[in-house]
Amino acid sequence: MTAAVAQFAPLLAQTEIHNRAEGEASCVAQNKAFCLDWALDNFDRYTTPLLEHLVLVVVSVAMGFLVAFAMALLSHRRRWLVPTFTGATGVLYTIPSLAFFFLLLPVTGRGTDTAIIALTAYTLQIIYRNIVAGLANVPVESREAGRGMGMTHRQLLWRVELPLALPEIIAGLRVATVSTVAIATLAVFAGAGGLGEPIYQQLDFKTNIVIAGGLAILMAIVFDALLVVALRLLAPWRGREPASARRRHRLATLRRAPEAA
Amino acid sequence: MEAGHQAASVSYRDVTKRYPGQTEPAIRNLSLEVPAGEICVLVGPSGCGKTTAMRMVNRTVEITEGDILIGQTSVRERDPAELRREMGYVIQQVGLFPHRTVADNIATVPRLLGWDRDRIAARIGELLELIGLDPDMRDRFPSQLSGGQQQRVGVARALAADPPVMLMDEPFGAIDPIARERLQNEFLRLQAEIRKTVLFVTHDIDEAIKMGDRIAILKAGGRLAQYATPAELLMAPADDFVEDFVGADRALKRLALMRVRDIDLWQAPLAFVGQATGEVRAKLDGAEVPHALVVDSERRPIGWLSETDLARETVPQRPDSGPQPILDLDDVMRDALADLLQTETQYAPVTDGDGRIAGVLSVEIISEFLVSPEAKVEEHAAVERPTAE
Repeated sequence: MTAAVAQFAPLLAQTEIHNRAEGEASCVAQNKAFCLDWALDNFDRYTTPLLEHLVLVVVSVAMGFLVAFAMALLSHRRRWLVPTFTGATGVLYTIPSLAFFFLLLPVTGRGTDTAIIALTAYTLQIIYRNIVAGLANVPVESREAGRGMGMTHRQLLWRVELPLALPEIIAGLRVATVSTVAIATLAVFAGAGGLGEPIYQQLDFKTNIVIAGGLAILMAIVFDALLVVALRLLAPWRGREPASARRRHRLATLRRAPEAA
Repeated sequence: MEAGHQAASVSYRDVTKRYPGQTEPAIRNLSLEVPAGEICVLVGPSGCGKTTAMRMVNRTVEITEGDILIGQTSVRERDPAELRREMGYVIQQVGLFPHRTVADNIATVPRLLGWDRDRIAARIGELLELIGLDPDMRDRFPSQLSGGQQQRVGVARALAADPPVMLMDEPFGAIDPIARERLQNEFLRLQAEIRKTVLFVTHDIDEAIKMGDRIAILKAGGRLAQYATPAELLMAPADDFVEDFVGADRALKRLALMRVRDIDLWQAPLAFVGQATGEVRAKLDGAEVPHALVVDSERRPIGWLSETDLARETVPQRPDSGPQPILDLDDVMRDALADLLQTETQYAPVTDGDGRIAGVLSVEIISEFLVSPEAKVEEHAAVERPTAE
């Protein structure tokens, strides 16, 4: 950790010089909460970290989902595996993130791989538990009816059990995604960049923290909203109104809006 | 239109079910034959194994010993999933898939069987009409339907691939009494049309009597106590258990199974309008019914001739006392008795389909019938009782 901070020291120094050279005595020099001019002038420097962060989150959650899903399917008809898997993912979840990165460094080296492995490991617990809970909460009578009508185990799983577990699976993905967005700010210590890089480069420059931190929060909100929309589209049966009626209602609202204006 | 599958008989051949870890079998040497196209109700107290007995037919419960034949084929030789697709299955909690629309729910088995889209769509339309559900309901989800509507969709889903056999496990058990009665009647009407072989599980003896062509009463330990038609069961219970289970009011229950034409009616002396009262008076001597019934030229009842009427010269057009209640030969006996009691009359004229007099029913005839029916029925009850071994 000390090594990592030491590495950033020259960078920090450089930026300060750079700022002073421009002679922005006003906002930046006073280190106000947020300097809009500076933000507009320097927004470019956040583009790469933002994209890196995005890749880290998407790849980690996607991989986490695939692994957790495979585990859930494995333990679905072998209930005795559930405590084992829950325990194993739980242990992974308790490892402090920085420690995780440094444990992996000798094996996978500095870089994105290390960060993604650790981030993926963190998502497993939440996603796995939610898939298992979702499958367990499928109504007994739906299962019995499906079986009684001649569905094979596989047909029952894909046509009845998983669709009915979807709300809980997506709820798990929402929590996992939001927390991954947050933990990924530490990926900079594994040498994987992301929004953590600008944050830890200029910890004492408030505008920087607001922008980098704000982007992370914004990313979390957007992902969360996307997943909520996905749930609406994939599980239209959850509301009492039929999906078509809800759509009609929404269209009506949209059509009314310009009249009101 | 789907070429209907012929209904198939279901026969239990000495079937025993033992669950692992239990010393007592759940079903013990069950043998019974359900003829094609009939409703067989499996009834008994909880824990008698009636649901187990039904579920062995589609192998959701495996048979330990013995065999069940559908038509000529043993269920043990069939792949369970394929076997189940050939049987309609309705359960108490309905078990509609909450994530699927009415149409998709009905399409479950046809899709498993790989029907093409057009055929499935056509079949859904047919079935919605059959169960009397508005075609607009196609795209509703189960949560948007009433309990009765859900149950109807459940029946439609079971009928989707036109299976030769239907299994119904307390299908109306979770429905309020009024809706249940309506669904029962609807199903009986439907069955008259589709003629499936139905195995129907219930714990309610009244439902069993109403729905069953035949009733199998099971007692604790999975033993068959009696297998008979509802009328036989009520008139000649095989043992104390059956008598007890059927209930102390079994005599009254029998009235629900009978129509007025099933009983020997009395004949009242007829008095035609305009006839001389002297002729009528002569007929009254030694008649079964001590009152004369006034009828028109078409022999349709108009009323009862009173003493004052008799004092006249001829039979009047409007006798003092009206003919009500007038019963029909096809009335259910229980309803006929209710009419008699409600109008507080001793006799009621019974007419045929054209409104012509066919005889007279009285409370006395019914009570005589209820008091000593056993001897009369025992003979033909004995013919079809397979329990006697």
